[in-house]
Amino acid sequence: MYKAVVIGGSAGSFQVITKILSSLPKNFPLPVLLSLHRLKHVRSGFVEALSIKSTIPIVEPYDKENIKPGRGYLAPANYHMYIELNKRIALSTEEPVNHYRPSIDLTFETAAQAYRDKLIGIILSGANRDGAYGLKKLKQAGGVAIVQDPNECQVKTMTEASLKLTTVDHIFSTDQIIQYLLKLK
Amino acid sequence: MNRYELGIVDTRNIIKTLQDVYNYDFKNYALTFFKRRIEKIIVSNNLKDADGFIRKIATEKDFFEVFLQELCVENTETFRDPSLWRLLKEELFPQIIKGSSSFKIWFPEVSSGDELFSAAIILNRLNLLKDVQLIASSISELDIEKTKKGIFDPKKIEVNDANYKRIFSEGNLTDFYKVDGDKAYWDTSLIENTKFIKQNIIFDDYPKGVKLVLFRNQMIYYNQILQERFIKIIYNSLVPGGHFIIGNNEKIDYWNSEKDFTLVNKDESIYKKKLS
Repeated sequence: MYKAVVIGGSAGSFQVITKILSSLPKNFPLPVLLSLHRLKHVRSGFVEALSIKSTIPIVEPYDKENIKPGRGYLAPANYHMYIELNKRIALSTEEPVNHYRPSIDLTFETAAQAYRDKLIGIILSGANRDGAYGLKKLKQAGGVAIVQDPNECQVKTMTEASLKLTTVDHIFSTDQIIQYLLKLK
Repeated sequence: MNRYELGIVDTRNIIKTLQDVYNYDFKNYALTFFKRRIEKIIVSNNLKDADGFIRKIATEKDFFEVFLQELCVENTETFRDPSLWRLLKEELFPQIIKGSSSFKIWFPEVSSGDELFSAAIILNRLNLLKDVQLIASSISELDIEKTKKGIFDPKKIEVNDANYKRIFSEGNLTDFYKVDGDKAYWDTSLIENTKFIKQNIIFDDYPKGVKLVLFRNQMIYYNQILQERFIKIIYNSLVPGGHFIIGNNEKIDYWNSEKDFTLVNKDESIYKKKLS
Protein backbone atom coordinates (compact mmCIF):
# COMPACT_ATOMS: atom_id res chain seq x y z
CA MET A 1 0.00 0.00 0.00
CA TYR A 2 2.96 2.38 0.45
CA LYS A 3 4.30 4.17 -2.63
CA ALA A 4 7.74 5.48 -1.63
CA VAL A 5 10.46 5.62 1.03
CA VAL A 6 12.34 8.86 1.66
CA ILE A 7 15.58 8.87 3.67
CA GLY A 8 17.52 11.83 5.06
CA GLY A 9 21.03 11.59 6.44
CA SER A 10 24.11 13.63 7.25
CA ALA A 11 27.27 13.06 9.30
CA GLY A 12 27.55 9.42 10.35
CA SER A 13 24.81 8.16 8.05
CA PHE A 14 26.87 6.71 5.20
CA GLN A 15 27.42 3.25 6.75
CA VAL A 16 23.79 3.09 7.82
CA ILE A 17 22.54 3.91 4.30
CA THR A 18 24.96 1.41 2.78
CA LYS A 19 23.76 -1.32 5.14
CA ILE A 20 20.11 -0.57 4.35
CA LEU A 21 20.69 -0.51 0.59
CA SER A 22 22.67 -3.77 0.69
CA SER A 23 19.86 -5.52 2.60
CA LEU A 24 16.94 -4.70 0.32
CA PRO A 25 15.68 -7.38 -2.04
CA LYS A 26 16.48 -6.80 -5.73
CA ASN A 27 12.75 -6.47 -6.41
CA PHE A 28 12.08 -3.97 -3.60
CA PRO A 29 8.60 -2.69 -4.42
CA LEU A 30 9.08 1.04 -3.76
CA PRO A 31 11.33 3.86 -4.95
CA VAL A 32 13.88 5.05 -2.37
CA LEU A 33 14.46 8.82 -2.34
CA LEU A 34 17.77 9.80 -0.77
CA SER A 35 18.49 13.31 0.44
CA LEU A 36 21.97 13.22 1.95
CA HIS A 37 24.30 16.06 2.80
CA ARG A 38 27.40 15.98 0.64
CA LEU A 39 30.22 18.20 -0.59
CA LYS A 40 28.93 20.82 -3.00
CA HIS A 41 31.80 20.85 -5.43
CA VAL A 42 32.40 17.08 -5.60
CA ARG A 43 30.10 15.81 -8.28
CA SER A 44 31.28 12.26 -8.80
CA GLY A 45 32.09 9.37 -6.50
CA PHE A 46 29.17 9.39 -4.08
CA VAL A 47 26.61 7.58 -6.18
CA GLU A 48 29.32 5.10 -7.20
CA ALA A 49 30.20 4.46 -3.55
CA LEU A 50 26.55 3.81 -2.67
CA SER A 51 26.08 1.60 -5.72
CA ILE A 52 28.89 -0.80 -4.84
CA LYS A 53 26.87 -2.57 -2.17
CA SER A 54 23.33 -1.61 -3.09
CA THR A 55 21.07 -4.36 -4.40
CA ILE A 56 18.87 -1.82 -6.21
CA PRO A 57 20.20 0.59 -8.86
CA ILE A 58 21.03 4.06 -7.49
CA VAL A 59 20.97 7.09 -9.79
CA GLU A 60 21.45 10.82 -9.49
CA PRO A 61 18.30 11.71 -11.36
CA TYR A 62 17.86 14.07 -14.24
CA ASP A 63 15.43 16.92 -13.82
CA LYS A 64 11.83 15.71 -14.51
CA GLU A 65 12.91 12.05 -14.39
CA ASN A 66 10.05 9.65 -13.80
CA ILE A 67 10.22 7.90 -10.41
CA LYS A 68 10.11 4.12 -10.68
CA PRO A 69 9.80 1.43 -8.01
CA GLY A 70 12.87 -0.59 -7.05
CA ARG A 71 15.29 2.27 -7.71
CA GLY A 72 17.20 4.69 -5.51
CA TYR A 73 17.27 8.41 -6.35
CA LEU A 74 20.12 10.36 -4.79
CA ALA A 75 19.87 14.17 -4.66
CA PRO A 76 22.77 15.40 -6.90
CA ALA A 77 25.51 17.64 -5.49
CA ASN A 78 24.55 21.31 -5.14
CA TYR A 79 20.88 20.76 -6.10
CA HIS A 80 17.71 20.52 -4.05
CA MET A 81 15.59 17.51 -5.00
CA TYR A 82 11.82 17.99 -5.07
CA ILE A 83 9.11 15.44 -5.77
CA GLU A 84 6.43 16.84 -8.05
CA LEU A 85 2.75 15.87 -7.70
CA ASN A 86 3.03 13.88 -10.95
CA LYS A 87 5.73 11.70 -9.30
CA ARG A 88 8.63 13.14 -11.17
CA ILE A 89 11.87 14.52 -9.78
CA ALA A 90 12.37 18.28 -10.01
CA LEU A 91 15.81 19.73 -9.31
CA SER A 92 16.47 23.22 -8.05
CA THR A 93 19.45 25.50 -7.43
CA GLU A 94 17.46 27.84 -5.19
CA GLU A 95 19.14 29.23 -2.08
CA PRO A 96 20.31 26.75 0.57
CA VAL A 97 17.84 26.05 3.38
CA ASN A 98 19.50 26.17 6.82
CA HIS A 99 22.84 26.19 4.96
CA TYR A 100 22.11 22.99 3.03
CA ARG A 101 21.61 22.23 -0.63
CA PRO A 102 20.33 19.53 -1.00
CA SER A 103 17.92 20.27 1.84
CA ILE A 104 16.44 17.20 3.52
CA ASP A 105 13.47 19.31 4.66
CA LEU A 106 12.56 20.20 1.07
CA THR A 107 12.76 16.63 -0.22
CA PHE A 108 10.62 15.36 2.68
CA GLU A 109 8.09 18.18 2.44
CA THR A 110 7.57 17.82 -1.32
CA ALA A 111 7.52 14.02 -1.12
CA ALA A 112 4.81 14.33 1.55
CA GLN A 113 2.75 16.53 -0.78
CA ALA A 114 3.12 14.03 -3.60
CA TYR A 115 2.62 10.75 -1.70
CA ARG A 116 0.49 11.88 1.30
CA ASP A 117 -0.18 8.87 3.58
CA LYS A 118 1.57 6.46 1.21
CA LEU A 119 5.04 7.61 2.26
CA ILE A 120 7.58 6.28 4.74
CA GLY A 121 10.19 8.78 5.97
CA ILE A 122 13.40 7.88 7.79
CA ILE A 123 15.80 10.33 9.48
CA LEU A 124 19.30 9.05 10.21
CA SER A 125 22.43 10.26 11.98
CA GLY A 126 23.52 13.87 11.45
CA ALA A 127 25.06 16.91 13.11
CA ASN A 128 22.37 19.51 12.33
CA ARG A 129 18.61 20.02 12.41
CA ASP A 130 17.80 19.53 8.74
CA GLY A 131 14.97 17.05 8.17
CA ALA A 132 13.09 17.75 11.40
CA TYR A 133 10.62 20.13 9.75
CA GLY A 134 10.25 17.87 6.72
CA LEU A 135 9.51 14.83 8.90
CA LYS A 136 6.86 16.85 10.71
CA LYS A 137 5.18 17.72 7.40
CA LEU A 138 5.36 14.06 6.37
CA LYS A 139 3.68 12.98 9.58
CA GLN A 140 1.00 15.66 9.22
CA ALA A 141 0.24 14.36 5.72
CA GLY A 142 -0.37 10.91 7.17
CA GLY A 143 2.98 9.27 6.36
CA VAL A 144 4.95 6.92 8.59
CA ALA A 145 7.72 8.76 10.50
CA ILE A 146 10.76 6.74 11.51
CA VAL A 147 13.87 7.99 13.28
CA GLN A 148 17.10 6.08 13.81
CA ASP A 149 17.65 5.42 17.53
CA PRO A 150 19.80 8.38 18.69
CA ASN A 151 21.75 6.01 20.98
CA GLU A 152 22.96 4.19 17.89
CA CYS A 153 23.75 7.33 15.84
CA GLN A 154 27.35 8.47 15.39
CA VAL A 155 25.97 12.01 15.74
CA LYS A 156 22.55 12.34 17.35
CA THR A 157 21.69 16.05 16.79
CA MET A 158 19.57 15.44 13.71
CA THR A 159 17.52 12.56 15.10
CA GLU A 160 16.99 14.35 18.41
CA ALA A 161 15.82 17.48 16.60
CA SER A 162 13.30 15.36 14.67
CA LEU A 163 12.06 13.67 17.85
CA LYS A 164 11.60 17.03 19.52
CA LEU A 165 9.37 18.32 16.71
CA THR A 166 7.33 15.21 15.91
CA THR A 167 5.75 12.29 17.71
CA VAL A 168 7.18 9.64 15.44
CA ASP A 169 5.81 6.19 14.68
CA HIS A 170 9.02 4.29 15.32
CA ILE A 171 12.46 4.78 16.83
CA PHE A 172 14.47 1.99 15.25
CA SER A 173 17.99 0.64 15.18
CA THR A 174 19.51 0.09 11.72
CA ASP A 175 18.58 -3.61 11.88
CA GLN A 176 15.00 -2.79 12.83
CA ILE A 177 14.76 -0.32 9.94
CA ILE A 178 15.89 -3.09 7.61
CA GLN A 179 13.42 -5.60 9.09
CA TYR A 180 10.64 -3.04 8.68
CA LEU A 181 11.50 -2.38 5.02
CA LEU A 182 11.77 -6.10 4.25
CA LYS A 183 8.17 -6.61 5.36
CA LEU A 184 6.81 -4.07 2.85
CA LYS A 185 4.83 -5.47 -0.03
CA MET B 1 10.72 29.88 11.01
CA ASN B 2 7.92 31.90 9.48
CA ARG B 3 6.20 29.83 6.81
CA TYR B 4 3.14 30.16 4.63
CA GLU B 5 1.76 27.36 2.51
CA LEU B 6 -0.02 27.99 -0.71
CA GLY B 7 -2.77 25.61 -1.81
CA ILE B 8 -3.30 24.38 -5.36
CA VAL B 9 -6.46 26.46 -5.85
CA ASP B 10 -4.64 29.60 -4.66
CA THR B 11 -1.80 28.84 -7.05
CA ARG B 12 -4.25 28.53 -9.95
CA ASN B 13 -5.89 31.83 -9.01
CA ILE B 14 -2.53 33.55 -8.97
CA ILE B 15 -1.62 32.13 -12.38
CA LYS B 16 -4.97 33.34 -13.73
CA THR B 17 -4.45 36.85 -12.33
CA LEU B 18 -0.99 37.11 -13.91
CA GLN B 19 -2.47 35.97 -17.22
CA ASP B 20 -5.41 38.42 -17.03
CA VAL B 21 -3.49 41.48 -15.86
CA TYR B 22 -0.08 41.07 -17.51
CA ASN B 23 -0.72 38.50 -20.24
CA TYR B 24 2.10 36.34 -18.83
CA ASP B 25 1.41 32.62 -18.79
CA PHE B 26 3.09 30.81 -15.87
CA LYS B 27 1.09 27.60 -15.96
CA ASN B 28 4.02 25.69 -17.46
CA TYR B 29 6.46 26.58 -14.71
CA ALA B 30 7.41 23.62 -12.48
CA LEU B 31 4.65 23.60 -9.87
CA THR B 32 6.62 23.01 -6.67
CA PHE B 33 9.13 25.70 -7.60
CA PHE B 34 6.46 28.23 -8.58
CA LYS B 35 4.54 27.70 -5.33
CA ARG B 36 7.69 28.05 -3.23
CA ARG B 37 8.69 31.33 -4.87
CA ILE B 38 5.27 32.84 -4.24
CA GLU B 39 5.25 31.58 -0.65
CA LYS B 40 8.63 33.26 -0.20
CA ILE B 41 7.36 36.59 -1.58
CA ILE B 42 4.22 36.44 0.54
CA VAL B 43 6.30 36.03 3.69
CA SER B 44 9.03 38.55 2.82
CA ASN B 45 6.46 41.23 1.90
CA ASN B 46 4.11 40.53 4.83
CA LEU B 47 1.22 39.86 2.46
CA LYS B 48 -0.46 37.30 4.74
CA ASP B 49 -1.98 35.09 2.07
CA ALA B 50 -2.70 34.46 -1.62
CA ASP B 51 -5.41 37.15 -1.71
CA GLY B 52 -2.95 39.70 -0.36
CA PHE B 53 -0.49 38.72 -3.08
CA ILE B 54 -3.16 38.93 -5.81
CA ARG B 55 -4.35 42.38 -4.67
CA LYS B 56 -0.82 43.79 -4.66
CA ILE B 57 0.39 42.30 -7.91
CA ALA B 58 -2.78 43.20 -9.81
CA THR B 59 -2.34 46.89 -9.00
CA GLU B 60 1.42 47.46 -8.72
CA LYS B 61 3.57 47.09 -11.83
CA ASP B 62 6.73 47.58 -9.73
CA PHE B 63 5.77 44.63 -7.60
CA PHE B 64 5.26 42.53 -10.72
CA GLU B 65 8.91 43.30 -11.59
CA VAL B 66 9.99 42.18 -8.11
CA PHE B 67 8.06 38.96 -8.69
CA LEU B 68 9.74 38.37 -12.08
CA GLN B 69 13.16 38.81 -10.49
CA GLU B 70 12.21 36.30 -7.81
CA LEU B 71 11.37 33.76 -10.52
CA CYS B 72 14.80 34.17 -12.13
CA VAL B 73 16.74 32.15 -9.58
CA GLU B 74 20.23 33.44 -8.84
CA ASN B 75 23.04 31.24 -10.11
CA THR B 76 24.61 29.60 -7.10
CA GLU B 77 28.06 30.98 -7.85
CA THR B 78 30.52 32.04 -10.55
CA PHE B 79 32.19 29.08 -12.34
CA ARG B 80 29.70 26.55 -10.95
CA ASP B 81 31.06 23.13 -12.01
CA PRO B 82 34.70 24.18 -12.58
CA SER B 83 35.35 21.12 -14.77
CA LEU B 84 33.03 22.57 -17.43
CA TRP B 85 34.74 25.97 -17.34
CA ARG B 86 38.16 24.31 -17.49
CA LEU B 87 37.04 22.44 -20.59
CA LEU B 88 35.75 25.66 -22.16
CA LYS B 89 39.03 27.44 -21.39
CA GLU B 90 41.38 24.69 -22.48
CA GLU B 91 39.54 23.11 -25.40
CA LEU B 92 36.18 24.33 -26.57
CA PHE B 93 36.62 28.13 -26.65
CA PRO B 94 40.00 28.05 -28.43
CA GLN B 95 38.74 25.45 -30.91
CA ILE B 96 35.43 26.99 -31.85
CA ILE B 97 36.10 30.73 -31.52
CA LYS B 98 39.52 31.21 -33.13
CA GLY B 99 39.14 32.12 -36.78
CA SER B 100 35.36 32.30 -36.56
CA SER B 101 33.76 35.58 -37.51
CA SER B 102 30.95 37.14 -35.45
CA PHE B 103 30.89 34.45 -32.79
CA LYS B 104 27.66 34.95 -30.85
CA ILE B 105 27.18 33.47 -27.38
CA TRP B 106 23.67 33.71 -25.94
CA PHE B 107 22.61 33.49 -22.29
CA PRO B 108 18.81 33.15 -22.56
CA GLU B 109 18.22 33.82 -18.84
CA VAL B 110 21.07 35.78 -17.35
CA SER B 111 19.51 36.03 -13.84
CA SER B 112 22.31 37.03 -11.44
CA GLY B 113 24.93 37.22 -14.19
CA ASP B 114 27.36 34.62 -12.81
CA GLU B 115 27.40 32.57 -16.01
CA LEU B 116 27.89 35.68 -18.17
CA PHE B 117 30.82 36.90 -16.07
CA SER B 118 32.33 33.41 -15.87
CA ALA B 119 32.42 33.23 -19.66
CA ALA B 120 33.64 36.83 -20.03
CA ILE B 121 36.51 36.28 -17.58
CA ILE B 122 37.68 33.15 -19.40
CA LEU B 123 37.42 34.89 -22.78
CA ASN B 124 39.37 37.83 -21.37
CA ARG B 125 42.14 35.54 -20.10
CA LEU B 126 42.25 33.82 -23.51
CA ASN B 127 42.35 37.20 -25.24
CA LEU B 128 39.23 36.25 -27.19
CA LEU B 129 36.71 38.60 -25.62
CA LYS B 130 36.95 41.08 -28.51
CA ASP B 131 36.16 38.30 -31.00
CA VAL B 132 32.77 37.40 -29.53
CA GLN B 133 29.38 39.00 -29.23
CA LEU B 134 27.86 38.20 -25.84
CA ILE B 135 24.07 38.39 -25.72
CA ALA B 136 22.27 38.26 -22.38
CA SER B 137 18.52 38.17 -22.02
CA SER B 138 16.17 37.91 -19.07
CA ILE B 139 12.48 38.17 -18.32
CA SER B 140 13.53 40.37 -15.38
CA GLU B 141 14.31 44.03 -16.08
CA LEU B 142 15.70 44.30 -12.53
CA ASP B 143 18.17 41.48 -13.14
CA ILE B 144 19.31 43.10 -16.40
CA GLU B 145 19.93 46.41 -14.60
CA LYS B 146 21.77 44.67 -11.78
CA THR B 147 23.95 42.66 -14.18
CA LYS B 148 24.79 45.75 -16.24
CA LYS B 149 26.11 47.38 -13.06
CA GLY B 150 28.06 44.22 -12.20
CA ILE B 151 26.52 43.98 -8.73
CA PHE B 152 26.83 40.63 -6.99
CA ASP B 153 26.38 39.17 -3.54
CA PRO B 154 29.67 39.29 -1.56
CA LYS B 155 28.61 36.06 0.20
CA LYS B 156 29.58 34.28 -3.01
CA ILE B 157 33.18 35.54 -2.98
CA GLU B 158 34.65 32.60 -1.09
CA VAL B 159 33.22 29.92 -3.38
CA ASN B 160 33.85 32.04 -6.51
CA ASP B 161 37.54 32.47 -5.60
CA ALA B 162 37.91 28.75 -4.84
CA ASN B 163 36.31 27.86 -8.19
CA TYR B 164 38.64 30.24 -10.03
CA LYS B 165 41.65 28.45 -8.56
CA ARG B 166 40.30 25.13 -9.83
CA ILE B 167 40.40 26.55 -13.36
CA PHE B 168 43.36 28.92 -13.47
CA SER B 169 46.82 28.43 -12.06
CA GLU B 170 47.72 32.07 -12.66
CA GLY B 171 46.15 35.33 -11.55
CA ASN B 172 43.34 35.89 -9.07
CA LEU B 173 39.65 36.43 -9.39
CA THR B 174 40.20 39.69 -7.49
CA ASP B 175 41.65 41.04 -10.75
CA PHE B 176 38.02 41.21 -11.92
CA TYR B 177 35.99 42.52 -8.98
CA LYS B 178 36.09 44.93 -6.09
CA VAL B 179 34.24 45.09 -2.81
CA ASP B 180 32.66 48.34 -1.68
CA GLY B 181 30.91 48.24 1.67
CA ASP B 182 28.35 45.45 1.67
CA LYS B 183 28.33 45.18 -2.12
CA ALA B 184 30.65 43.55 -4.60
CA TYR B 185 31.08 44.69 -8.20
CA TRP B 186 32.41 42.95 -11.27
CA ASP B 187 34.63 44.93 -13.61
CA THR B 188 31.97 45.99 -16.11
CA SER B 189 34.50 46.50 -18.90
CA LEU B 190 34.13 42.70 -19.27
CA ILE B 191 30.59 43.25 -20.56
CA GLU B 192 30.95 46.62 -22.29
CA ASN B 193 30.05 45.05 -25.64
CA THR B 194 27.37 42.71 -24.29
CA LYS B 195 23.94 43.13 -25.80
CA PHE B 196 21.06 42.92 -23.31
CA ILE B 197 17.52 41.92 -24.28
CA LYS B 198 14.47 42.16 -22.05
CA GLN B 199 12.45 39.08 -22.91
CA ASN B 200 8.75 38.66 -22.63
CA ILE B 201 7.70 35.27 -21.44
CA ILE B 202 7.34 33.71 -24.87
CA PHE B 203 10.81 34.78 -26.02
CA ASP B 204 9.57 35.86 -29.44
CA ASP B 205 12.54 38.23 -29.83
CA TYR B 206 15.41 35.77 -29.75
CA PRO B 207 18.83 36.20 -31.41
CA LYS B 208 19.63 34.34 -34.62
CA GLY B 209 22.93 32.95 -35.93
CA VAL B 210 24.12 32.01 -32.44
CA LYS B 211 27.10 29.66 -32.15
CA LEU B 212 26.90 28.83 -28.44
CA VAL B 213 24.02 28.89 -25.96
CA LEU B 214 24.69 28.65 -22.23
CA PHE B 215 21.43 27.87 -20.47
CA ARG B 216 22.32 25.91 -17.35
CA ASN B 217 19.92 25.16 -14.53
CA GLN B 218 17.15 27.47 -15.70
CA MET B 219 14.92 25.07 -17.61
CA ILE B 220 14.64 23.02 -14.40
CA TYR B 221 12.06 25.61 -13.34
CA TYR B 222 9.81 24.73 -16.28
CA ASN B 223 7.62 21.72 -16.84
CA GLN B 224 8.27 19.46 -19.82
CA ILE B 225 5.94 21.38 -22.13
CA LEU B 226 7.78 24.65 -21.58
CA GLN B 227 11.19 22.93 -21.66
CA GLU B 228 10.44 21.56 -25.10
CA ARG B 229 9.21 24.96 -26.31
CA PHE B 230 12.46 26.60 -25.15
CA ILE B 231 14.63 23.92 -26.71
CA LYS B 232 12.87 24.60 -30.04
CA ILE B 233 13.61 28.33 -29.68
CA ILE B 234 17.25 27.58 -28.92
CA TYR B 235 17.40 25.17 -31.85
CA ASN B 236 16.15 27.94 -34.13
CA SER B 237 18.60 30.48 -32.71
CA LEU B 238 21.64 28.21 -33.23
CA VAL B 239 23.59 27.83 -36.45
CA PRO B 240 23.97 24.20 -37.63
CA GLY B 241 26.87 22.74 -35.64
CA GLY B 242 26.34 25.31 -32.86
CA HIS B 243 26.78 24.22 -29.23
CA PHE B 244 24.18 24.14 -26.47
CA ILE B 245 25.22 23.66 -22.84
CA ILE B 246 22.75 22.81 -20.06
CA GLY B 247 23.13 21.85 -16.39
CA ASN B 248 24.70 18.58 -15.25
CA ASN B 249 21.48 16.91 -14.35
CA GLU B 250 19.44 18.21 -17.22
CA LYS B 251 18.71 16.38 -20.43
CA ILE B 252 17.32 17.24 -23.83
CA ASP B 253 14.60 14.68 -24.03
CA TYR B 254 11.58 14.92 -26.30
CA TRP B 255 10.23 12.55 -28.90
CA ASN B 256 12.50 13.53 -31.81
CA SER B 257 15.33 15.28 -29.93
CA GLU B 258 17.92 12.90 -31.39
CA LYS B 259 17.10 14.25 -34.82
CA ASP B 260 17.93 17.79 -33.67
CA PHE B 261 20.92 17.44 -31.33
CA THR B 262 23.96 15.23 -30.69
CA LEU B 263 25.23 14.85 -27.13
CA VAL B 264 28.95 15.52 -27.54
CA ASN B 265 30.00 15.57 -23.86
CA LYS B 266 27.86 13.66 -21.38
CA ASP B 267 29.74 14.69 -18.21
CA GLU B 268 29.28 18.39 -18.94
CA SER B 269 25.94 18.16 -20.80
CA ILE B 270 27.22 19.71 -24.05
CA TYR B 271 25.03 19.24 -27.12
CA LYS B 272 25.58 20.17 -30.72
CA LYS B 273 22.89 21.12 -33.22
CA LYS B 274 22.96 18.64 -36.09
CA LEU B 275 23.99 19.87 -39.52
CA SER B 276 20.57 18.61 -40.79
